[in-house]
Amino acid sequence: MAVSFFGELLITAGLVLGLFVVYSLWWTNVVADRAAGKQADEVREDWAHGRGGPGVLDTHNGIGFLHVPSMRNGEVLVEKGTSSEILNDGVAGYYTDPVKATLPMSGKNGNFSLAAHRDGHGAKFHNIDKIGKGDPIVFETKDKWYVYKVYGTLPETSKFNVKVLSEVPEESGRKKPGHYITLTTCTPVYTSTYRYVVWGELERVEKVDADRTPPKELR
Amino acid sequence: MGLVPWYDGRDGMYGWIWRHLPGNTWVKAVISLVLVVAVVYVLFQYVFPWAEPLLPFNDVTVDNQ
Repeated sequence: MAVSFFGELLITAGLVLGLFVVYSLWWTNVVADRAAGKQADEVREDWAHGRGGPGVLDTHNGIGFLHVPSMRNGEVLVEKGTSSEILNDGVAGYYTDPVKATLPMSGKNGNFSLAAHRDGHGAKFHNIDKIGKGDPIVFETKDKWYVYKVYGTLPETSKFNVKVLSEVPEESGRKKPGHYITLTTCTPVYTSTYRYVVWGELERVEKVDADRTPPKELR
Repeated sequence: MGLVPWYDGRDGMYGWIWRHLPGNTWVKAVISLVLVVAVVYVLFQYVFPWAEPLLPFNDVTVDNQ
């Protein structure tokens, strides 16, 4: 009798764990994509109505969109902060801690450092390993396209390696101040043992025209 | 008396629940389905969101803690 009671507990535990996998890899994506879609619509709406004008930061609903053609996942909304509450909405967040990101709109030298989920919660950086050297990363704001070119990747590093976010990320090989972008997420897939890092450098800035024609990298 | 109400039963916890559901087999089946959906809902809505940050599967940032 005790054996059948124990057996039922094990079966139940197995079912709950199975459901947790379904939750992590499917349901959190459904919830996150819904939230991200809604917030992205609000940003686009604000832009269309001239709110949050040129240069003005509307950090509440996101500051722009990240386009990485080699990740094949369309546009990713970028918001302020990298806490789970922010990232769980299926967006990428720019770092405010431990190293503050330099926003491209500021025009200053520095590092535009971003994080997003690898799996679950929208999994916006799931395909980060598909990004190669020379691939474009485009950041879209209300009035500018910032076109970056990937020059370095670090497929595995310690989660304590905050130096990858430095204004001049020396581990990437660059020693001089410049306009850098850094993408971070966890690796290997489905775990958080290490961090995966991709670095890019600003190549040019294009003005957004009336039709919002994307730069040639996105066509 | 056992540790749990269904200890004396012949077929464990799930059998005990099944025997205590009212109605004929069809009614029992429908109620069972509703119970399963309710359990899944509670897990997805409350239990898993609570458990997730405690598990080391989804940290994506670098930090110095």
